Amino acid sequence: MVEQDLKTSVKGQILSIKDLPTLPKVLDEVSRLVQDPNANTDEIAKIISRDQVLSAKVLKMVNSPVYGFPGRIGTVQHALVLLGFNVVRGIIISTSVFEMMVKAMEGLWEHSLGCALAANVVAKHAGLADPEEFSVAGLLHDLGKVVGAVQLPELHEAVAAAVREQDLRWFEAERAVMGFGHDRVNAWLARHWNLPGNIREGMSHHHSPETAQLYPETAAVVHVADFIVRVYEFGTGGDDQAAPLSRKALEVLKLKLPDLDRVLDEFAVQLADVSDLDLA
Amino acid sequence: MDDIPALRGQEAFLLSPDKELAELLTGLWPVEHMRFTVFERGRRAIEHLFNDPPDLLVVDERLPDIGGPEVASLVKSENVYRQLPVVLVMDREGLDLPRDWEQVEVDDFLVRPLDPKETRARVNLTMLRAMRALDANPLSKLPGNTSILQRIQQCVDSGEDFALAYCDLDYFKSFNDKYGFSRGDEVLMMTARVIVNTIRTFGGVRSFVGHVGGDDFVFIMPPDLVEEACRRVVQSFDSIVPHFYDADDRARGSIVSVDRQGVTRTFPIMAVSIAVVFSTGKRRLSHAGEAASIAMGLKKKAKENPKSCYVLDQRER
Repeated sequence: MVEQDLKTSVKGQILSIKDLPTLPKVLDEVSRLVQDPNANTDEIAKIISRDQVLSAKVLKMVNSPVYGFPGRIGTVQHALVLLGFNVVRGIIISTSVFEMMVKAMEGLWEHSLGCALAANVVAKHAGLADPEEFSVAGLLHDLGKVVGAVQLPELHEAVAAAVREQDLRWFEAERAVMGFGHDRVNAWLARHWNLPGNIREGMSHHHSPETAQLYPETAAVVHVADFIVRVYEFGTGGDDQAAPLSRKALEVLKLKLPDLDRVLDEFAVQLADVSDLDLA
Repeated sequence: MDDIPALRGQEAFLLSPDKELAELLTGLWPVEHMRFTVFERGRRAIEHLFNDPPDLLVVDERLPDIGGPEVASLVKSENVYRQLPVVLVMDREGLDLPRDWEQVEVDDFLVRPLDPKETRARVNLTMLRAMRALDANPLSKLPGNTSILQRIQQCVDSGEDFALAYCDLDYFKSFNDKYGFSRGDEVLMMTARVIVNTIRTFGGVRSFVGHVGGDDFVFIMPPDLVEEACRRVVQSFDSIVPHFYDADDRARGSIVSVDRQGVTRTFPIMAVSIAVVFSTGKRRLSHAGEAASIAMGLKKKAKENPKSCYVLDQRER
């Protein structure tokens, strides 16, 4: 009962988020682009696609009922075409940057970008259509941690302490401290923001891909991508332990272990391209 | 004096026993812009109003035989007259009376003593606001037919070069039949957004986007940019529209629905067809209707292609 009360009050706080900050580097770059009358949508989309917060903001906006097609748009490129330059500029100029926790957030940003890249590679190797949508699901898979850090700083700190002191994975620590994990927070956010179902399930089932009801492929892709990016230790999800890889996820994607080797190789190449991209 | 093209040739009724008011109002606009017909009694005006509704109705609360708000209600309660803007003229003491503005269905009010400049500006604004509200497409809120025709005529009259593009969707009806109207509306909202934003990416040019109704849209662009605009609209539309289908239909690339003859058929994913008419050089359009009829011919050609495409009017320019 107590746990239920905590969940209800936490959910209320999570969904009431008004100001979701991002890291300064990407914001500066996008801000420059939206001031440039010659910048095109593709360039802006490419940069926004590296930033989980800016991506979440444009997708939330384009899927809001105001635009008349909630839950339909799952890529940043499409979101920018439909929102238009003025609206995107409005989002950019109203976004603030983290003043605290920058160091911790940098790790999470890298992890999220790495997961987006890995999800793209996994989706392509699994022969799935629209790999960009899988990238988005990968990019946003830990958004619940960011929103948690902003809206529930005390709980966030308690989880971090549990990770340090009890040698837990972040996901385990969340459940020990709060009774639920960031996957649940993701589910609340994705539903509240009318994000498309595939992205919602990728965000909310990446720790338990076998429970995804409608889009098992997306959940499986994000799960495998999360595993891969942890293997390469690119960025951090808040802890330094790799989660076990679900065999079921590989089955859903019809990937064998040798396929995974090829995925890892290709990912390593792509990672080299972005790792000199200084996010901070 | 401010000359607003949309406000030329307007007919107005003034219902007031106040001769001074009639004189002031009629003196505010040249008669070719606004012609007032003055009724000193209210009741007699009602029948005229219903038979031959003007573009503006000004009602004075000093009417001896009927209340101003009552006249307004009579007009506003009938759907066919609702769009007629009604302005109420009040005495200052009238403001002190408690009023339920929800019941008094007027669009604006003026308080004695009337300031001529302010009165003219407020009445102009009231009329423009009523036009916009009436003409806007209820779904997309884009300008509708009246504004579209007006804009085309302005372009024609100004003698400038312009290109006029008519867009519509192929297989929209079968999509609607299968998925229902509200999903169809989603596609129309998306299409409106794609067109508006594509046109807007050409910064600093005179352009216009209107929504004729249903799946018919219009845009106006400088002739040298219109082909690139069509190309971008087609590309964005084709890449986004599959996401409005269920996953299985999207994977198949088609839907099964019933055609106009009641026969079950397979229909492809929706496509956008654009027909472009030019008014340049030797070939100048003389009126809006001419553009529409040329476009209809081109449209047939565009429709022969089941994929998204655009057809440019190739007559000698």
